[in-house]
Amino acid sequence: MAENNRAEGAGAISAADASQDAFAFLGKGGEIRQLIRNFDWSATPLGRVETWPGSLRTATALLLQSPVPIVMLWGEHGIMIYNDAYSGFAGKRHPQLLGSRVREGWAEIADFNDNVMKVGLSGGTLAYRDQELTLHRRGVPEQVWMNLDYSPVLDETGTPAGVVAIVVETTREVLARQRIAREHERLLQLFAQAPTFMAMLRGENHVFELVNPNYQALIGNRDVIGKPVSEALPELADQGFGDLLDEAYRSGEPVSRWSERLILVRSLATGPEERFVDFVYQPITADSGEVTHIFVQGSDVTERVIAEHRQRLLVNELNHRVKNTLASVQAITSQTLRGAMSLKEASDSINGRILALSRAHNMLTAQNWTGADLNEVLETALSTHDDPDRPQLDVTSPPLRLEPHAALSLALALHELAINAAKFGALSRTEGRVEIICETVVVDDRDVFRMTWREIGGPPVHAPQRRGFGSHLLERALPAELSGQVRIHHRPDGLVFELAAPLSAIREGVGLG
Amino acid sequence: MLVALLIEDFILQLGCEIVGMAMRLEPALDLARTIDIDVAILDINLAGKPSFPVAEILQARGIPFVFASGYGAAGLDGSGISAPVLQKPFDVGDVRRLLTAAL
Repeated sequence: MAENNRAEGAGAISAADASQDAFAFLGKGGEIRQLIRNFDWSATPLGRVETWPGSLRTATALLLQSPVPIVMLWGEHGIMIYNDAYSGFAGKRHPQLLGSRVREGWAEIADFNDNVMKVGLSGGTLAYRDQELTLHRRGVPEQVWMNLDYSPVLDETGTPAGVVAIVVETTREVLARQRIAREHERLLQLFAQAPTFMAMLRGENHVFELVNPNYQALIGNRDVIGKPVSEALPELADQGFGDLLDEAYRSGEPVSRWSERLILVRSLATGPEERFVDFVYQPITADSGEVTHIFVQGSDVTERVIAEHRQRLLVNELNHRVKNTLASVQAITSQTLRGAMSLKEASDSINGRILALSRAHNMLTAQNWTGADLNEVLETALSTHDDPDRPQLDVTSPPLRLEPHAALSLALALHELAINAAKFGALSRTEGRVEIICETVVVDDRDVFRMTWREIGGPPVHAPQRRGFGSHLLERALPAELSGQVRIHHRPDGLVFELAAPLSAIREGVGLG
Repeated sequence: MLVALLIEDFILQLGCEIVGMAMRLEPALDLARTIDIDVAILDINLAGKPSFPVAEILQARGIPFVFASGYGAAGLDGSGISAPVLQKPFDVGDVRRLLTAAL
C-alpha cells in the first residue's frame, strides 16, 4: 500500500490521481510528507491511513501546513505525527520519532509527557514558558528550554482523541538572558568590590540610585538612596559639586578632577573633615541620546596628597639645608684663606673645619635635628684631638640637652679651641693638659651655662697678632649665637677661654629664639 | 653662625661697619627697635623662627633691609613682605648689588 502510493507519488500527481490518493490530504512538498506516506501506520494503533477518522486527517493536514514546530500525540499512547519544523527540533531522534509512542520516543521525559497526555485527553490545556528539559537529541544529554502549549484535539464525537503541542525552543534566548543576568550580577559585584568609590545618580536632581561600600565609607554612615545629592550630602552641594553635576548632566560630557579638596561632614559627632579625591562624573545616556544618569567614580587620595605635600616640604627643607651648608663651607674657605700664611696651612685648616662641621651635622642628624646631649657635643668635637692612651683633656660636664643651633656652634667653637691648642698651646706638648669645666650656675636669679677651657703646661702664650677665622668665630659669632659673653685670657701659663650664656638660650625646647 | 661671619666679612670688605649682630629672634627684635643703622641683612630663618617680625619693625622705622635665605625668594612666600633676597650661597658682588639697591 505504501509502496504503491510512493510509486504513484514519485512523479507529478495529476488532479485525477490526487482524488484517488489516500494521502492527498497531506498536501505537497517537504520531507515529512514523504515519510508519512511511506510509514507503515498499520503497525500502530492508528491503523492504515485510509481508516483514519476525519478529525485525525484534518488535524494532521493542519499541523503540516504550519511553519511553527507542532507535534500531535494521538490516542492514549500519544502516537507522534509532526511537521517539518518539529523534525528540525527533534534532531537525531527524527525520523525514528515519527509514529512512535510519545512516552517511548522521548523516554527521558516520559513522566512529563505522561502528565501532558492525561491532562490533554481529559480536555485540559497546558502552557509552559521557558520550560527546562533535558533531551537526548544528539546522543548526549542536553539542557534545553521551550515554550510548550498543549491543547486537546477532539474526534467526531467531541471527545479528546489526541493532544497537539506547539513547541518553540527558547534555549538560545534563555541562555542569552542568563548571560545578561550573570553579567549584571558580575557588574554589581564589581561595583560592590571595586577599590574605588562609585555611585549612580538619576535625573537632573541627581538622586542616589546606588552606592558601593567605598562610597558609603567616604560619606560616612548616611542613608542617601532615593535622595537628591543636595539633600543627602548638603555640604558637598555647597562646595560647588552640585554645579559640577549640573554641568555634566547638561553637557553630556564627563567632568573629572584630581586631588580635589572637599570638606565632608560624615557625622555630627566627628564634625567637618578635610579629604582629597580624584573623581569622574560620567553622564549616562539613553538610546535617545538624552542624559538620564550620572555615574560617579573616584578614589579617596587624602593619604597620597598629604604624602606629596610632606615630600614637597622635605625637598624644600633639604634644598634650604644644602644651601645653608654651602654658605657655611663658603664662610670657612674664604675666611680661612684670608688669614692663611701658606696654602698648606689653609688647606689643612679648611679640611679640619669642614670635617668638624660634618661631624656636628652627623650628630644632629642622628637625632633628627631635635638637639644633642652636651656630653655628646664635647665627645664629637674633641675626640679627634685627644689620644685615649695619653689623655690630655680633662672634661667635667653636667647632663644637659642642647638645642641644635647651640650644639652646632659649641661643637665648632670647641674645634677651634682644640686646633689652636694643638698649634700654639697646651696640646702642642706631651706634658700639656686642658681642663674643660661645664656647669650651670645661678647669677642674678638666672640660670647660666658656663664653660671654661683652661690650658696648663703649654708654652707661654701671647695674644695673636692677626685675628683669623677662629678668633672671629669664638669672639663674635659664638656670643651672638648663644646670646652670651666670651672672654679669652692669654695668660703666661696658658690660655683661658670663658663662655657664659643664659641656660634658656641653649637648652633644648626653651631657647630664646 | 658661619654665614653670619661670611656676611660680616663681606660687609667689611665693602667698607661698611658692623653695628650689631643677632642670631636669635628675641635679641634681633631688641636690636631692630633700638639700633641706629643704614641697612640690615636678615636671615629669614633665625634658629628655626622666621625673622619677619624684625622686618616689620625695620619697615616701620624706615630702615632698608635685604633678606638672606637658603630658600631664595620663595622663602618670603606668605609673609606679605617684599624685599630683595640674597640666595645662599652668595658672593661679595651679590651683597654689594643688593645693598646698593636697598639703599
